[in-house]
Amino acid sequence: MAEHDLTARLAPHLDRHLVFPLLEFLQERGLYPEEEIVAAKLRLLGGTNMVDYAMAMHRSLHGTDEAPADMVARRAEVVDRLVALQTGPALPLYAFLRDPHLVQLLRPDKQYNVHMLQEGFQIGPDQIEALYDDAKFQFECGSYSDAAAYLYQYRVLSTNSERSVRALWGMLASEILNRNWDAALEELNRLKEIIDSKNFSSPLNQLQSRIWLMHWSLFIFFNHENGRNGIIDLFFQDRYLNAIQTNAHHLLRYLAVAVVVNKRRRNMLKELTKVIQQEQHSYKDPITEFLECLYVNYDFDGAQQKLMECDQVISNDPFLGKRIAVGNSITVPLRDEFFENARLFIFETVCRIHRCIDISVLAEKLNMRYSEAELWIMNLVKSLKLDAKIDSVSGTLIMRVNRVDVHEEIIESLKNLSTRTHMLAQSIVEPAQAAQQAAQGD
Amino acid sequence: MQGSRFWGQGDSESEEEEEEVESEQGSDSEDDVVHGAGGRGVQNRYLKTQEDDSDESDSGHRVIRSLRDKRNEEMRSIVDQMRNAMKINDWVSLQESFEKLNKHLEKVVRVNESTEIPKMYIKALVLLEDFLAEAFANKDAKRKMSSSNSKALNVMKQKLKKNNKQYEEQIQKCREHPESFEDEAAGKGEDEDDEDEDSDAEIEDPEKIVTSESEADAEDEGDNDGWIQNKSKKDKMLDKQFLKDPSEITWDIVDKKLKEIVASRGKKGTGRIERVEQLTFLTRVAKTPAQKLEILFHVISAQFDVNPSLLGHMPVNVWKKCVNNMLLVLDILQQYPNIVVDTSLEPDEKETQKGADFNGTIHVTGDLVAFLERLDTEFFKTLQCSDPYTKDYVQRLREEPLFLVVAQNVQDYLERVGNLKAAAKVALRRVELVYYKPQEVYDSMRKLAEQPEDSVEEGDAETGDEHQAMDANRGPPPFVVIPEVVPRKPTFPESGRALMDGLMSLIYKYGDERTKARAMLCDIYHHAISDEFSVARDLLLMSHLQDGVQLMDISSQILFNRVMAQLGLCAFRAGLINEAHGCLTELYSTGRVKELLAQGVQQSRYHEKTPEQERLERRRQMPYHMHINLELLEATHLICAMLIEVPNMAASTYDKRRPMSKTFRRLLEVSERQTFVGPPENVRDHVMAATRALNKGDHQKAFSVISSLEIWKLLRNREHVLEMLKLKIKEEALRTYLFSYSSCYESLSLNQLTTMFDLSEQHAHSIVSKMMMHEELHASWDQPTKCIVFHSVDQTRLQGLLFQMADKLSVLVESNERAYEARTGGTLEGVPPRRRGDGQDSSNLGKWQDNFVSSQGRQGGGNRSGYAGRGGGGQGGGYQRDRGNQGSRGGYSGGSRFQDGRGRNQSGSSARGGDGGARMVSLNRAGRV
Repeated sequence: MAEHDLTARLAPHLDRHLVFPLLEFLQERGLYPEEEIVAAKLRLLGGTNMVDYAMAMHRSLHGTDEAPADMVARRAEVVDRLVALQTGPALPLYAFLRDPHLVQLLRPDKQYNVHMLQEGFQIGPDQIEALYDDAKFQFECGSYSDAAAYLYQYRVLSTNSERSVRALWGMLASEILNRNWDAALEELNRLKEIIDSKNFSSPLNQLQSRIWLMHWSLFIFFNHENGRNGIIDLFFQDRYLNAIQTNAHHLLRYLAVAVVVNKRRRNMLKELTKVIQQEQHSYKDPITEFLECLYVNYDFDGAQQKLMECDQVISNDPFLGKRIAVGNSITVPLRDEFFENARLFIFETVCRIHRCIDISVLAEKLNMRYSEAELWIMNLVKSLKLDAKIDSVSGTLIMRVNRVDVHEEIIESLKNLSTRTHMLAQSIVEPAQAAQQAAQGD
Repeated sequence: MQGSRFWGQGDSESEEEEEEVESEQGSDSEDDVVHGAGGRGVQNRYLKTQEDDSDESDSGHRVIRSLRDKRNEEMRSIVDQMRNAMKINDWVSLQESFEKLNKHLEKVVRVNESTEIPKMYIKALVLLEDFLAEAFANKDAKRKMSSSNSKALNVMKQKLKKNNKQYEEQIQKCREHPESFEDEAAGKGEDEDDEDEDSDAEIEDPEKIVTSESEADAEDEGDNDGWIQNKSKKDKMLDKQFLKDPSEITWDIVDKKLKEIVASRGKKGTGRIERVEQLTFLTRVAKTPAQKLEILFHVISAQFDVNPSLLGHMPVNVWKKCVNNMLLVLDILQQYPNIVVDTSLEPDEKETQKGADFNGTIHVTGDLVAFLERLDTEFFKTLQCSDPYTKDYVQRLREEPLFLVVAQNVQDYLERVGNLKAAAKVALRRVELVYYKPQEVYDSMRKLAEQPEDSVEEGDAETGDEHQAMDANRGPPPFVVIPEVVPRKPTFPESGRALMDGLMSLIYKYGDERTKARAMLCDIYHHAISDEFSVARDLLLMSHLQDGVQLMDISSQILFNRVMAQLGLCAFRAGLINEAHGCLTELYSTGRVKELLAQGVQQSRYHEKTPEQERLERRRQMPYHMHINLELLEATHLICAMLIEVPNMAASTYDKRRPMSKTFRRLLEVSERQTFVGPPENVRDHVMAATRALNKGDHQKAFSVISSLEIWKLLRNREHVLEMLKLKIKEEALRTYLFSYSSCYESLSLNQLTTMFDLSEQHAHSIVSKMMMHEELHASWDQPTKCIVFHSVDQTRLQGLLFQMADKLSVLVESNERAYEARTGGTLEGVPPRRRGDGQDSSNLGKWQDNFVSSQGRQGGGNRSGYAGRGGGGQGGGYQRDRGNQGSRGGYSGGSRFQDGRGRNQSGSSARGGDGGARMVSLNRAGRV
């Protein structure tokens, strides 16, 4: 099932550190040979300061105790830097920030803060910039909460807008890696505002930023409780939808799942199928194909088949296949939800175009046993006001055809007209009368 | 001949006369060039009559001879005439003949395709000279002459003197070896063949002239005839000062001469070809590389001057020489990187005096890009002017690689010096030569270019000659020797796509707006012909080209139209009928498709074109090898329209729905009006016949009629396309059948449908389901029995009319409301939300509103019902018709533009289908992001 794995397409748009959870997931699922993943992880770590971890990894991969020389050298370098951090130029700043009384001196006005720090504590812009560098260093070392804290403070103090944006990205990554979803969502929205409002140097840049943002947001949306609405809201915004269509077609999978799972956003389905249809040359996977089969071709057998494939795809996706252990069994909540809704989609569509349908066939289409299906349908009939009856003897479901009477239709449309005309007449006559009266009054 | 007689008898002011004659000749030759190969036949006939006029003694027996032979023959007869005149001492007729001879010389030379002077002519000159000397010696005889005769004698004397100066050398030689001339004069016709091959090289090769120049007559004997002719040339080209020893020629002399020649441009009496030759000679004697470069630039522009008219094109051999000169320029530039070519600053007077060993930069004025573009234009024009069915055309086409070499080298050079903007321009020229070539054609071009030299083109052979000449070291080499450093062969990557991609990325990075737009169009075109529809579509939509086409120049608009046509064909091949129709319908909506694609001139019945317009139009025409097959295009358009329109008509028998394709409807009406329907002849008849069959649900007949069209064999993947077409026809036949006859059925089994329309069960099921979902068919499935149960929802006529009335009323109310809003500026409160039709209603509405809108002639108004709300009123321009459930992408209808830019523009030009609009709009933003 590795062919539907998107990790390779996602990774280029993610931060080095963010790819890590994805690889862990893959390792867990065992889609690829263990060594390959470990090697990939090792390469990933090569660019970070988590040298100890990398050494351990190297040991397990090659089965030797000896770490390569460059790693050792790099370790020494990192340790040096760590030590230097304690005595670095930003030291007075840390002292200042650690003191809660002093921190209260800060005000929302940045210019004032800078001035105040300079005057009262000899903390100049250099120190503030050093804070940023330190945060970056901490981040590379893997201590994300420290990094987030530093960056927060940096943002408060910094006047360099270019770097604050970068600090924002850093904070977002740190919060994501800390699994601090609420904070992360906040950062995300802040970043989105900046991206949308700022006049970027080039449209290409802006597009790229949007794509990054969407990729990073996946972490949040599939973990945050309100994420499913969030992802639809974000991705369906014109600019973001364009970005998807231009350069990140694979995000359609997540959008599709989000729409299918979300009962309240059923109306987006139409738009989604349109987009999927347009992009079918650029991207397809069982999930999008399922929707295409169902809503473009009305091919129920095909839809059923694709639905089966979706199972694997969802379970193997790092974002969608999140597991939760309930008691002894492990479930993938999103998958179950997806299946439930997909089934409902099929059923709805089938019902719309059938007058009479065999329940056994239906059960097969819904991937259920007969009795299960009957029960399921019964519930639907009861709850969803499905206008149908089960003919238990012949084992069929009979839909009632509800036609709008032609007369009613005509009357309805004309009634509407009359009210509107009335409104119009009134709003014309009233001012006229008022004017007349005013004239008489004079 | 009238003219010459007049002049001959007229007066003795020979100066003026000479000029007149010369200019006359000049224009004569131009005409000939214009006619080119195609006009030769005509010219021939013309000559024939001329001959008959002048030559009474000719018995008029007609033997079919080659043109060249005939010319030689004519010349000989003129010489004979002269001899006769000499015998009777008739100077008047002698003078007449002499003039005729001179005129004829031009023609003979041209026919022989060489600049060599026939020996017969030289011989005649010698004869004349002798006779003249004799006549002057014999004073008595002279005194006895009549006044007109003696006058003619004097005129003759002056003329001959002047004329003979040109051919001094040859005459000299002739006097020395009269016998050899005798022989050859007789056997002239046979020799010619061997000679004209090297003749080109001779002119090209001023080095040889120098050789013969400097070493006088010493070794002439040993040489072949070519030398003699060269020497006669040299008179024209040289001033006395260049006869000196090469070492005495200084930079100043050359510079002075150059200025002199350059200044003579456009003056009366300077032959254009002569100028080129003079300048070419100068390049040999140039003292420094920079000077050589400067002179070369002048040579090239002089070569461009050879053909003065806008309509005609440069002679082919001049073009080739020009190409070689360009290569030479590039050689110099590569060899001496300190020489900089630019137009920005005025170079110092003595700039070019700096020698090869000068260290600083040397500025030379010139514009390589302009030259290259001109070269390309000339190439284009030759193809435009010549008849595509002749061998010449093919021959000319084979010279394309030659240009590509230059372009490639110029581009390389510009990239090297960092002038990337200019390089992008050059890249565009290359793109424009490649974009319309499918991979097969590209491959064969590549093969042609990679062939060994001798078989490819003369150009290469020539340079080879030059090499040999140098090796043999027969004379002192030119002062500045430039080795060939620039590659003389184009290099092509494996696939056309790769080449395009390489050039594209350069253009996108550095090109200006127009260059980018054109390159983009070429790119889309190329994608379309390589069957990558989705890529091409995305490129087109993302680039917003269709929004701005109207503002572009006409040739870009033509390119855009061509792109749309190809995109349509591509979509059709891929089976995307709606898309194909969207692309093509606009092209055909005006009935001026030929004009829109610049593939021929269409006569309009309603207004005459002024000759000016006609000429402009002719200049825009595409050369034949770039044409898009019009029949194929028409067939594609009509078939698409048929597949869309037939079910559409069947679905709407009561309410006349807005037709999808008005053109198609009109054609159908015309064909239905015919009382007698004959067997189909042209594309249109075929499609109409198929439509009739399809209307009845007879898919087999429809397909067989369509597939009997000849044009399908032009398609690469013919089987595949026909298979697709068959399937589509079946599908639409099924739909049409259901639309038309559903009211007659209570139920219909799937089985029956599959057998009737030869479709797979699943496919038929899917089609019917789709119709049910879209409420096109009021029916539902009965799954256990696998049949369709129809609901009788047929409206009566009255009900149908009522619906229409309701719709129209609602439009009326709405326009009232809008009027109110416009008046008061406020919105009505409490008005129920307006219906936003996105189903079938809108099509009803659409039609009505369409009339409404167009009758008012304005198209403001934001949110009309039934209109795609997403774009809002901001989109302005055309109306956005919701194509409803078809899901079609009307988005392309950016549509064709009138190429003549008369400002008559169709309203639909910026129309975007509602559904497609979503895509369009979204992509809009993508571009803007």
